[in-house]
Amino acid sequence: MRNADLELVGRIRSGDGSAFEALYRQHATRLYNLASRMMGGHGEADDLLQDIFLLAYRKLGSFRGESSLGTWLYRLAMNHCLDVLRNRQTRMGQQTDSLDEPDAPPVASPVPLVGAVSRIDLERAIDALPPACRAAFLLHDVEGFGHQEVGAMLGISEGTSKSQVHKARMRIRYYLAHGVKS
Amino acid sequence: MKCADLQADVLVDLVDGRLDPAEQRDVERHLEACAECRALVIDLRSIRAAAFMLDRREPPAGVWNRLQSAVAAEPLPRARVQLMPTRQNWPVWLAAAAVLTLATTIGLWPLVSRSASSGGETVAADAPAEVTVESVTAEFEAAEKHYQKAIDDLQTIANKDTGELDPQVAAVLQKNLTVIDQAITESRAALRVQPSSTNAQDGLFDALRSKVALLQQTVELINEMRKGNQAEAGRRAQTLSQ
Repeated sequence: MRNADLELVGRIRSGDGSAFEALYRQHATRLYNLASRMMGGHGEADDLLQDIFLLAYRKLGSFRGESSLGTWLYRLAMNHCLDVLRNRQTRMGQQTDSLDEPDAPPVASPVPLVGAVSRIDLERAIDALPPACRAAFLLHDVEGFGHQEVGAMLGISEGTSKSQVHKARMRIRYYLAHGVKS
Repeated sequence: MKCADLQADVLVDLVDGRLDPAEQRDVERHLEACAECRALVIDLRSIRAAAFMLDRREPPAGVWNRLQSAVAAEPLPRARVQLMPTRQNWPVWLAAAAVLTLATTIGLWPLVSRSASSGGETVAADAPAEVTVESVTAEFEAAEKHYQKAIDDLQTIANKDTGELDPQVAAVLQKNLTVIDQAITESRAALRVQPSSTNAQDGLFDALRSKVALLQQTVELINEMRKGNQAEAGRRAQTLSQ
């Protein structure tokens, strides 16, 4: 796997346009959906996807195969999304220091959900999550990566990935039962 | 086991299906007796299943076109040699230093000099990896199981109610499911040959996702028909037939 990654990167570094297109085709759909849900808007996700791949192209010189190319690319993408969110937060004048806890965590919902979870409500609840735990939830529960991979992509431990995903599920349960504060 | 024992780490492993059998039995015994914890676990499982089945949108074609133009204006990404040793590659640097000292001592300097100028990147690339092949394979198998569970659940609902569908729509649905099943079979065969191939893994995930999406659309169509929402049902049937 690593050899194939290094070979693909080598071809891109030597100016093989089809190799960069192969990298794009392999990861664009997943990254587009991730970026879209991280930012909560389609139009912005188009620009973000372009920025992520352009950034990846510029940084490919530093790829050394210490992790898989996919993990490296997702880590770069998630860092970029979190940076954009941080800048947006600064522009909006929010005084929060961390992206983790923009408000007090909701208490566990005493009201069980009834029936299937509506996709629209779920998307709205995901959008309301603090960005750091939204990132872990999207990578694990929506995209199906394991906690070890999520940890490598977000630069956190496997245990922290589990705790962020659990926190996200509990918050979503609360939002689905009580509605999202607008 | 008490309610207080169902801490975050236990709950997350329970919902992900990763508790060891003994712990799983303990938790299940508690859930049988405790309605509140049972409701919590059902909710968390529903949230995970629903998250896994969220829509996936393709990026617009224009993104690749714009990216291609932007990349054409960029210089080629050059391999950068890491000049300073980090804690992670310290043993590699020590080994490299030892080889360099030995080579200099026995008069092989020209050979080492050539290798260093062409292969600096390789030294860094061989640094210890954080993720092992075994761990990735285990994560992959767990994710595949999760997909299969979602497919089984949806298939049960869809099988029960496809009789309500227009025969033409049902025929197209069956044809599409056959094509996807074929893709799943082929992807699994490719994975057996190359278990660690990311292309083969992605191929299988894509096929499984397609099946989840198709079954989900079918269930949604049946729901619209039952609600008597003819316009929406017609629109969904048309989408399904495409």
